[in-house]
This record gives sequence, C-alpha cells and structure tokens, in this order.
Amino acid sequence: MFDAIVIGSGMSGGIAAKELCERGLKTLVLERGRKIEPGKDYSDSLQPWEVSTAGMVPEKDLENYPVQSQCYAMSSANKDFWVNDLENPYTTPEGKPFSWIRGYHLGGRSLMWGRQSYRMSQMDFEANAKDGHGSDWPIRYDDLAPWYDHIEEFIGVSGSQEGLDQLPDGKFLPPFAMNDMELIFKDAVESKFPGRKVIPARVANLSEAQPHHEELGRATCQVRSLCERGCSYGAYHSSLSSSLPAAERTGNLTIITDAIVHSIIHDPKTGRATGVRVIDQNSKVGKTYEAKIIFSNASTIGTAQILLNSKSEAFPTGLANSSDQVGRNIMDHVYALSTAGIFPNAPDTYYRGRKPGGIYVPRFRNVTEDGADFLRGYGFQGGASRMSWRSSALGQPGVGVELKERTRKLGPWLMYVGGFGEMLPYETNRVTLGKGKDQWGIPIVHIDCEIGENEKKMIGQINADGKAMVEAAGGIVVSQKTEPGTFGLGIHEMGTARMGTDPKNSVLNKYNQTHDVPNLFITDGSAMASSGCQNPSLTYMALSARAAHHATKFLKEGKL
Amino acid sequence: MKELLDMDRRALLQRALLLAGASVAVSGCDMLAGSGNDKSFAFQADQFVLLSAVAGTIVPKTDTSGAIEAGVPKTFESLLRNWASSQTRDKIVGALDRIDDAARKKSSKGFSELDEARRLELLKAHDVHALEIDPDGTPVKGSNPFAPVGPPQNDPGYARMKELIVTLYYYSEAGLTEELAYEHDPGVWEPSIPITPETRPWGGLGLF
Repeated sequence: MFDAIVIGSGMSGGIAAKELCERGLKTLVLERGRKIEPGKDYSDSLQPWEVSTAGMVPEKDLENYPVQSQCYAMSSANKDFWVNDLENPYTTPEGKPFSWIRGYHLGGRSLMWGRQSYRMSQMDFEANAKDGHGSDWPIRYDDLAPWYDHIEEFIGVSGSQEGLDQLPDGKFLPPFAMNDMELIFKDAVESKFPGRKVIPARVANLSEAQPHHEELGRATCQVRSLCERGCSYGAYHSSLSSSLPAAERTGNLTIITDAIVHSIIHDPKTGRATGVRVIDQNSKVGKTYEAKIIFSNASTIGTAQILLNSKSEAFPTGLANSSDQVGRNIMDHVYALSTAGIFPNAPDTYYRGRKPGGIYVPRFRNVTEDGADFLRGYGFQGGASRMSWRSSALGQPGVGVELKERTRKLGPWLMYVGGFGEMLPYETNRVTLGKGKDQWGIPIVHIDCEIGENEKKMIGQINADGKAMVEAAGGIVVSQKTEPGTFGLGIHEMGTARMGTDPKNSVLNKYNQTHDVPNLFITDGSAMASSGCQNPSLTYMALSARAAHHATKFLKEGKL
Repeated sequence: MKELLDMDRRALLQRALLLAGASVAVSGCDMLAGSGNDKSFAFQADQFVLLSAVAGTIVPKTDTSGAIEAGVPKTFESLLRNWASSQTRDKIVGALDRIDDAARKKSSKGFSELDEARRLELLKAHDVHALEIDPDGTPVKGSNPFAPVGPPQNDPGYARMKELIVTLYYYSEAGLTEELAYEHDPGVWEPSIPITPETRPWGGLGLF
C-alpha cells in the first residue's frame, strides 16, 4: 500500500511525484514505457557526422511512424523516443485527422518538449466566464501565481520581465538575448504597432544554473540546440533531469516502468479509488497496486482512456464521469501558421551558439487591438537567423568551385513568426473508447475533433498580422503557411477532464480533485478548462504542485 | 537581391522549418511508399567510380577537402543501404546512370573517364537542366519529411542525389571543420558578433 500513486512520469506526473514525495508521501510512479537512463540513453554527444543516416529516419522505418514522423523534433538520433504508431493504434473519423504525438518511456514527452514556458493570465482564467464558452475556471490567476513561482524556480525558466497583464512575469533566470535581426524586428513591431511587444522566448533552459539546480546534477545550458536528443548537462527541464531526481532523493519514490494502467479501481462502499490495475507491457501480466491517493497524469488522451475504461456499477460510463464530460472538450492550439521573410537590408552581423528559443509576441488581439470577428486570440513564436549553408548550396543550380564559394558566404537574415491560436472547448470534440482493443486488451481510443468557426476566423488574421510584422521590419515575405497544422500537431492537446465550479458540467474542482471521487486527482492537460494561447506545460506543472499540496493536506486532515 | 528571391522555395522553407525548432512545424507527411531496405546494398565497382566522379565534381577539392576527401562516396553508399527505400535508391541510381549516358552521348566516354574540366562542363549543363522546374510534372516532396510539396524538377532523382551528396559533405567532419564552422558545445550564447573575412557559416544538424 502506497500513500500515493502517480500514473505517468511525464511533465505533470514528474512534478506531482516530486511534490508528493517532498511532503512525505510514499509515492509510486507508474510509467507505461521503458526506463530511460539519463546520459546513457541520450545521443547528444554524437557529432553531426556520427549521427546515422544524416539525421534522417530511414524510409523503411517511416512505415512504423506515419504520425510521429510529422513531428519536427523526430530524427534518426532520437527515433526511439517516439512510439511505434502501428503498435499503439488509435482511430479518427474519415476526414477528421488527429496527430497524436507520443513518447512512451520514463519522462514521457518532457524529454522532447519545446520548452517554451508561459504563464496564463487573469484574462485567460476569466475568459470562459466572460464569453460563456466551456466551464468557468474554478480558480483565478492569484490562486496559481505562487505555484507558477514555485515551478519556475525549480525547473529554471529563462526570460525577461515585461510587466504585461496578458503574459505575467515570473521568477526568471536571465533571458537568452535577441540577435541583431530580432532586435530590429522588436523595434519595428513595437514602434509601428503600439500595444504589441516582442520579447525573448521564455524557455525552460538554464541560462545560469543556480545552486538548487546544481544539487540535482544540472548545469548551465551550453547553447547546443540538441535538446530533443536528451541533454547530458540536464540543462533543460525534464522529468529525468529534475523532477524525478528531486523525488528520488526524498527516499519516498518508487518507480515502476513498463506498467500500462488498464483502469482505476473504485470501492462503491467508501466512494474512494483504491488502486490501479496495470498490465506489464512485455509479459502482459496484470497486477494491482493500492494507494490512498491517486493522481492521473497519463496525458489528456491517456487519462480519458483510463477513466472511460474504469467502468463500474457506480460509474457505468467511466470513473468520475457523472457529468459526462470525461473525454470531451479536447483542445489543441491553432498551429503552424507561419510567415517567413528575408531581410536584404539587415545588418551584416552574426551570432555564436545555438540558443534554445527565439522571440515571442504576446497576444494582442482582443487585448490591445480588436479581434475582428473572433473571440480570444493568439501569440506568435518566431526567430531570426542567417540562412544556412543548405539554402546557399541547394537553393539554386550550380556545381563545383562555384557551389563551394557561394556556400562559404553567409546567407541573408531570415525571420519567421508562427501563430499559436486559442481554441475554444467544444463538447463535440471528444475522445471515446472504440470497439477494438490493443495488444494489452485495452480498448483503443477514437479521437473525433475538428476546429470550429472561431478558430477558422482567426487563421486569416494570424497570417495578415504575421505578414504585416515581417514587412514592418523590412522583410520580404517568401513563404506563408495558410492552412493550420493537423489537429494534435501543436502537441498541446488538453481539456478531457476539465476543471469547473459545477459538478454537472465539469470533472474537477478547484483542487484538481474529481467531483465524484475525492481521492482521485487529475493534473495533466485534461484539467484545462480553456486553452489560452500560451504553451501549456508550465500551467500543468503549477496545477500539479498546487494539487499535490492540497491532496497531502486533505489526507493529513483525514478528509480523503 | 533578385538572386535571393529566385532561390528554391523548398530550400528556403526547409530552412524556415529547421529554424522553427520547437515551435512551428508544418503538417502533412505522407507516409513514404517504402519498399524494403536492402541492407546488403553496395554499388558495383564501376558505379562507385562513377558516383565518386560525380560527387567530386559537385564538391571538388579546393583549398579545403572536397567530397572525395570527406569520404562522401562511402557515406552516400551507406545512406542508400541504411536509409533509402529501394524505390528511392532506384531513382538515385537512375540519375547517376543518366549522367553517364549524357557523357557517352557527347564524347563516347563514360563520365568518370573524362578529365576534370570536361566533367565540370558536362555536369554543370546537366545540373541546370535537371533542376529546372517541370510545369507539367506531379508535385514532389523534399527529403525532409516536413518539407512541403514543391514543384517537380525535370530530374527529381538527380535533385535528390545532389541534395544528399551536398548534405553529406557539409555534415562531414571535413565539411564542418574546414569549409564551414561548427562547435558542438558553444558554451556561451553571443547574440552579436562582427563578421570578418575569416567568418564562415555555422553548420550542423541542429534546429538553429
């Protein structure tokens, strides 16, 4: 019998485990994938010429990764960090694709994440109440602010203090400074569009490791931009570099890998969850683990799958699903609407190193500028660099000395900005259990979702704003992507067990505790009542720490 | 400036995508029609000589190593063995053969039997023609799975082969240390440095 079980070892599960362990709870982390050993299983030491097949995933292998290979971060150097799509199936309706990007291993997707870390603001927590979409968040910014502080200090977020209401400042390490083109872009955008700001990307990379980072074996970022291969310096936050080591040193942590959670067991007499059923991914042997508290951090689709598969007389449609909201309201961000321009008149300077993030343009639509005919808004991520040897060498015909000579010259500055649009929660966008089962006997999920009218209205404005900003800085737009990426490719899927004030239309209360089962907490992306337009991992982690605090308190008070 | 605007959009987009790093990717990857890899693939001796002659002409030795000195023919062969589907491989080998055919038509000698000046002259013309856009052809995807579909070139097999040879050269130790600049662990981010006559573009596999 453990005090707590945490299902999933990724971004939110790692933090939940750390916080529970640090409060003295004997905690079991269940990870469905294999164990990964930091350093040993990383490929970040490979020089470019040592990486197999020039970084390209072999064409034959792509048959196993039709979905995962759509993710920008997959290469031959980290192929094993992604699931085999054929062995881990899910279904979607005809004409409504969803790209579910997954990493089944210890640390989950925290190993390959993009590391962009932004707070949600009061405006975001009030949005549902104001315009009537979704459930009213049962918390406001002030409830989460101290937990954002706590997480930022622990994981290490580099960023600048800007004083913006829509993107609150935090406890930041120094930012990675903008390069000269990014500074020109900043000046141009801020002077020509008052109310818009261009700031250094806020990233969970240690620009200056602090003693509490070094205690966990972490070091300052070496600006290599090899993050997706795993970082032997532990310079970006992942469950493997920081939260699980912090949990481990308390002596309260047990990790079991290769343990796929089949369902959560509910005792109708006590109304409590008593444990979880798992299946060993290799032997396929089942086993049960018991605990006083259960945290589900299996990712939003994984958590929905587990709850929906935990049926009983008391919960015939799935555990904690009296509201019928489990699996519904899945959101991602409107994504990949990028505009790229070259800047013939930019200064002829260069930079050294490969910084882990570029620039960010916080939301201005429906903040400082009207949002035309849509609700909510979007932010832009972007960056500038000199165009590389690749475009110099291959961008035009030519062979021989001529090719070498032109490739030796620095290319022009290229800058891109890509919008991330807030998506509204729609009950019809949902995850259900399909008829088929996977090789472990678990019903496979059916993901049925599409963007709505509000999101469609944003697309044109995102592109118009992107173009106008590139041009304001003297750029010539050379490419623009006018169709958003496939739903799911933002890898910000969330919302399937939303928080809310009303148990009739939400799954979780203000402590991320299920309305129906008091000792069951959910703190992964499922909990999100709205998506904001910010990259959400930081919010999942803050919610996880806050919920762990309250869960422990309730347990000690005998309330669970 | 015109030269910049005429640059192949795919290369530009690839760069934009690589730049995008953690944040912005383009969707839409058709699963490549992969027939089986042939792990035992190796060029015939005469094909390897031809490949070496072509690679050495595309990236010749100058004051720095060329493709031959950088070991590109060997790594290219290994790439065809370990990365390419047989379909891709056939396209590339076909493109090589067409270069040889062109040489034989012009001079009754195989490409590798020509002297360096003749090789360059022939390949230069072949390159321009092969990379011309074919307005009637079916759009093709770049080798990067995120590369968007682009207009087809007259000889897509040649385009792919050249891209791989050039990429392998600039990923090689010689390419990265003699021709470009590469630091695996820069250690410190310097946002603005002056350009001197010695400055070379940074290379590497990284996203930025």
